[in-house]
Amino acid sequence: MELVCLGLNHQTAPVEVRERFAVPSSRLGEQARIVRETSGATEVVVISTCNRTEFFLASPEPAAVLAALEAGLLNACRADAELASHFYRHHRAEALHHLCRVVSGLDSMMLGETEVFGQVKQAYQAALESGTTSAVLNRAFQRAFAIGKKVRTETRIQEGATSVGNVAVELAGKIFGHLEDSEVMILGAGEMSRITAQNLRSRGARSIFVTNRSFERAVELATETGGLAVKFDEWQRTLERVDIVIASTGAPHFVLRREDLEAVRRARKFRPVFLIDIAVPRDIDPEVGTIDEVYLYDIDTLEQLAEEGRGRRRHQIEQCELLITREIDASTLPGI
Amino acid sequence: MDRWLLGLSTLLALVGGLSGLLQVRRGKRSRWTLAWMTSAFAVQLVFLTLRGQAREACPLADLGEILAFLAWSLTLFYLLVGPAYRISLMGVFTAPVVVVFQSLALLPGMMLADPQPVAGGNPWHETHSATSVLAYGALALAAVAGVMFLVLDHELKEHHLKSGWFRHLPPARELLTSLQRLLWIGMILLSIGVAAGLKMPRDASATPHLIAALFVWSAYLALLAVHKVRGIAGRLLSKCTVALFLLSLGVFAFV
Repeated sequence: MELVCLGLNHQTAPVEVRERFAVPSSRLGEQARIVRETSGATEVVVISTCNRTEFFLASPEPAAVLAALEAGLLNACRADAELASHFYRHHRAEALHHLCRVVSGLDSMMLGETEVFGQVKQAYQAALESGTTSAVLNRAFQRAFAIGKKVRTETRIQEGATSVGNVAVELAGKIFGHLEDSEVMILGAGEMSRITAQNLRSRGARSIFVTNRSFERAVELATETGGLAVKFDEWQRTLERVDIVIASTGAPHFVLRREDLEAVRRARKFRPVFLIDIAVPRDIDPEVGTIDEVYLYDIDTLEQLAEEGRGRRRHQIEQCELLITREIDASTLPGI
Repeated sequence: MDRWLLGLSTLLALVGGLSGLLQVRRGKRSRWTLAWMTSAFAVQLVFLTLRGQAREACPLADLGEILAFLAWSLTLFYLLVGPAYRISLMGVFTAPVVVVFQSLALLPGMMLADPQPVAGGNPWHETHSATSVLAYGALALAAVAGVMFLVLDHELKEHHLKSGWFRHLPPARELLTSLQRLLWIGMILLSIGVAAGLKMPRDASATPHLIAALFVWSAYLALLAVHKVRGIAGRLLSKCTVALFLLSLGVFAFV
């Protein structure tokens, strides 16, 4: 019996190819049963996320099973044979190593992301419930989950924010702790504001105020983020109560100046305020950042911090790979 | 024997502080600092119990005992406040202050080698001494929280987000909340201490000490009043808390 893997991911196939082979999460178990019947494999687990579709199989005749699976996939998707060039194959320990890389987030588009761990667990659970796993895949997946957890706890692969939105949320957490008591104001209803506001909302930010020169657009974004629209000539008054301001208007000049904040400092009782300026040209006068309780970050700083976060994760890859290799070498598993 | 105990306690706090510092420099959380500080606290308790038995009163009869009591009070508030607010890094900041106080107490001439029972003890005097030193423990920890806030504030302002300090320091707002609570606790204890001081029998030589105590009490009251009524930026509040604590230490060292 041999463990093998056939799949494609964001590194080997563009989205228009990946989407043809994608399997909805509700059908992973059923698909595993179909693959077992059509390919002749003894055991099957099907993993499908937005970045990958992979088939982990156990069979005494791996070459024949892989050929049958590939032909079956191309046939089911009515795809040309040339699409097969997007597939990769892994055998035995190499297949387990690949699985460990996937659950550890090393094979993800966003290096070190944690969501994939849950997605693979869900795929394995679906296969388990469909009865398409046995000794080889059960042992291989359990081992991969254990190694994946070890990689995440013993290395720093998931530390630090890697996108502008996440950096902003991480900083907000460092300033305010729990965001349940924090209120957010969005100045200018751009796309980046929406993403950042949604990130803050998902972390529990209490309320969101949206202001925009076009009030209709403010109402639209406020509805989308579960917030409240504020008329553009009234935003200074809202500044008295909020803890976080996200600015991304299209104005060619500074919208928030030092005097705007100085005017509300007493009313705010000098509470900390986090200003996120993601507009180009900038909306917030850098002078505002010299006020004691103000923490001002512009788009360049946030992007630089995100890149540093990505760089730190890249530096962890070697350590993660060593850990995975060491753990696999120390394992005695069937099919490897 | 008691000097050895104080030395051991100082050593435990030193190890706790240094191990925590090394962990933070490696970018990890200082998990063992709390355990080291708890051990230091236990030894401090044994030391103070022995001195208290020898004095047949609260062990605050010489400068060494006062400093040791102050270090104990600071550690007590750290153990009470630190874990509750999950600000374990506070141990890394508290340990050096404990080490300094106890090292000073261990200097020759600071602590009597053969403590004798305190003659003519008075309950107002004991209340004044004990609550005042407890108050300074809370105010010292408020100053520690202030230093932590200033470090975090600097890192946030300068966008230095890679350091171990930044990653392991508690959020700024939580630090300020802890600092304010400690200031209030210190203020309440200090008020009891000052009130007891006014009640206790005293001669003319105690008047400068009483004036100094009232001056320190008024300064802390003014800080809390300004914070409550007008509001004050975290950076200024932290600086004032640290400055007031250093000032009060300086005042009592010379008055």
